[in-house]
Amino acid sequence: MTDGEPTDHGVSDAGGIIDEETTAEELTDGGTATEPGTDLPLGIPRWVGALVPLLLLALVVGGFVLFPPFAGVQSGEPLPELSVSHVTLPNDETIVLHVTNSGAEPVTVSQVLVDDAYWNFRMTAGGEETRTLAPMQSGTITIPYHWTPGWDLETAIVLDSGATFHTDIEAPQPSPGVTGDVLWTLAVVGVFVGVIPVVLGMLWFPFMQGLSDRWLHAVLVFAAGVLAFLAFDAGFEAFEIAEGVPGAFEGPLLVVTAIFGAALLVQAVSAWQTRRTSPDGADGGDHAGPTPLALAYLVALGIGLHNLAEGLAIGSSFALGRVSLGAFLVIGFMIHNVTEGPAVVAPVARGERPSLAHFAALGVLAGGPVILGGWIGGYAFSPTLGALFLALGVGAIAQVNWEIAGMVRRSGRLGTATNLVAFLAGLVVMYATDLLVTL
Amino acid sequence: MTGKRSDAAELTSHLTDRLVDAVSNDAEVSRRAVLGGIGVAGAGAVGLSGRSRADDTPHDEASHGGFGPVGEFDSTDFDPHEFLREFNTGFDGADDLPQRVYERDGERVREFELYASLKTIEIAPGVEFPAWTYQGQVPGPTLRATEGDIIRVKFQNRQSHPHTIHPHVKNVAPEMDGVPQNGPGVVEQGEEFVYEWRAQPAGCHLYHCHSMPLKEHVHRGLYGAIIVDPDPERVARNPRDYVNYQGPIPDSYREDLVERAELRNHEYRADEVDEQVMVMNGFDTNFDGDNEVYAANTRAFAYGVGDTDPTEGEWEAGDTIRPIQVQRDQPVRVYLINTIEFDPINSFHTHSQFFDYYDHGTTLQPTHKTVDTVMQCQAQRGIVELDYSDHEPGLYMFHAHQSEFAELGWMSFFEVQA
Repeated sequence: MTDGEPTDHGVSDAGGIIDEETTAEELTDGGTATEPGTDLPLGIPRWVGALVPLLLLALVVGGFVLFPPFAGVQSGEPLPELSVSHVTLPNDETIVLHVTNSGAEPVTVSQVLVDDAYWNFRMTAGGEETRTLAPMQSGTITIPYHWTPGWDLETAIVLDSGATFHTDIEAPQPSPGVTGDVLWTLAVVGVFVGVIPVVLGMLWFPFMQGLSDRWLHAVLVFAAGVLAFLAFDAGFEAFEIAEGVPGAFEGPLLVVTAIFGAALLVQAVSAWQTRRTSPDGADGGDHAGPTPLALAYLVALGIGLHNLAEGLAIGSSFALGRVSLGAFLVIGFMIHNVTEGPAVVAPVARGERPSLAHFAALGVLAGGPVILGGWIGGYAFSPTLGALFLALGVGAIAQVNWEIAGMVRRSGRLGTATNLVAFLAGLVVMYATDLLVTL
Repeated sequence: MTGKRSDAAELTSHLTDRLVDAVSNDAEVSRRAVLGGIGVAGAGAVGLSGRSRADDTPHDEASHGGFGPVGEFDSTDFDPHEFLREFNTGFDGADDLPQRVYERDGERVREFELYASLKTIEIAPGVEFPAWTYQGQVPGPTLRATEGDIIRVKFQNRQSHPHTIHPHVKNVAPEMDGVPQNGPGVVEQGEEFVYEWRAQPAGCHLYHCHSMPLKEHVHRGLYGAIIVDPDPERVARNPRDYVNYQGPIPDSYREDLVERAELRNHEYRADEVDEQVMVMNGFDTNFDGDNEVYAANTRAFAYGVGDTDPTEGEWEAGDTIRPIQVQRDQPVRVYLINTIEFDPINSFHTHSQFFDYYDHGTTLQPTHKTVDTVMQCQAQRGIVELDYSDHEPGLYMFHAHQSEFAELGWMSFFEVQA
């Protein structure tokens, strides 16, 4: 910089402004003494100060839209992006592609190829026939194509620009779609896979009541191991499904946000509830923690969210004709999920036994979502929803494990050899029983 | 149904001729514009328009059979049905192609003015392709001359990439070969070059751009047909030049060859034959080195049928997608050229019909007699002669017998009329 003088001048000016602001801040820092309404210069109320940056931003954005400064340096158009989130096959004469425009510009579908042949199709979005999708808009493309079960299909969507988006349909099978029979089947499956094993697992409760602190802690930590395994399981699954999420929805970031969101929300609820029930611990030390019953509900919620995602997977696989719900699979799920029962009731094994109604509620909260998930997955599977539910489950479980650790620590030591082995046992049991369940 | 349609078609064609004649003296009105207008109006008037079932109403899928493109072509700036029979001879041809014939040093010169340009063309209903074109069309204009003439092409490049014209004729001057290594090399944007080639040998030939990268310059649309008609007088003098035959040549054989030459030559009796040009081409719309669209003359399915009811075996012509109508008592000659890129071969197959095939069109006796399928590598070409006189009127399919090409657009029909 050769001519430094104007710059220096600018800096000193800026310094002056900063000084003024610092003074204002010092005044407000006093808190109660100052009048909150009049502490900005010229008597401007403080809330206006909060709005000023937003107003200025609106002004700049408005000016930008009205007088675009980059009009002369347009660097081409964004590439079109069309995602096929999933395919349904209502019968062997129809292919339905579920598409989303995940690009920044509208896309127009001009032709559709099936196995390298031009084919008729009908495209609808929002209940109306159309050939153009706005950004973020979803639609369905229905192709009257007589296909052969088990013989792979390849479809290509041809845009007006000639760009193509390909989808492979491997070993196609008719998706049964959603009928009363299917809903009933999914409900029965949900009861067997979700509710029954959790309730059976809860029957360890009387046994747990008689345990010493050491062994009860081991059971609790075992439950934490079970939950940790489920968290990793669901987390990997969430990121895997997120790859199918239309680009504009930022699948992986959605998963991260949902994991943190669920953990923080559950933590917030737990903190609020703790503060409300035991005002003594209001100063929020590690010693407080939720009541045992509340912790049991939190565990049930975390497991419930996980089981909701499990139900989604079962329901969508079923609706997409991708699964044979054979006895082996159901048995696998039952053995896998039975370990969730003790995890739910372990927190209340000490002290007064909660009423049976609480047990029923815990069982339904933990196991029932399998049914709900099955229905949602069967009706309207979307990778976005699937990834979201899985991620919520991960977040909830992470928070629950935090609470379990706190509970153990309050009445003993967390890092004993028994506890560590119990945690490992939780992981190993889940890994072993997971081998029985392959969707 | 068929009877009614052909009546209507005859009426349309009669009206077309009358209107074209009526306006042909008016230089302001392009013949193409008139024909385009009639196409739409005529089809609408007789209720044959595929588009009369409004595009925005849901199609009855059961009556579709599913196969084929959806919708009709929107753009009217290229009509494959018009291109099919449009020959530029210097005497006569497309209005937008400046052309003339004159004598120079005792030789006859056929002069054409071609330009290269970038143009977005519609290659399947609703699917556009940014083509590099001669004269704003793909394929480029069909140039036609008689053996021995000079074909003179004033070539101007109006596109930002350098282009050339490389002729597939027997050209004896290296600087006229249209390759980057010879003569003017490539013709840059805004530049001009005048190519001159001797129209020889008689046959069905082609021209194309030879700039590098060659694959792209060919695939983007820079090609067209050159047809060199045999000179009956030269055939009478040198009959052996026109046959793969070594035996004695009696007068009757010579006369037969001369008659065949006359039927090939537009200055003699070629108008007794329904002559058509089909350039088999394709387009890679997504740059994956594989064609998404195949066609005869650029537009997928343009010679197909508008609508099919496969359960009843019925069909309906569309506005822009409709069969080629041929008369039963008039022989058909197809000048067939393969310019396909990315695929090693292309082919031509006729249903319920056998034809005589003249590879490169350089002989007056067929090189393949009585076949129903021929294949061509890129730049290979030939003449197909068809006779439907003993067929019942109706629809006869022809297509590439690579099923993939057929289903991606190179599937066509002759509608044989009594």
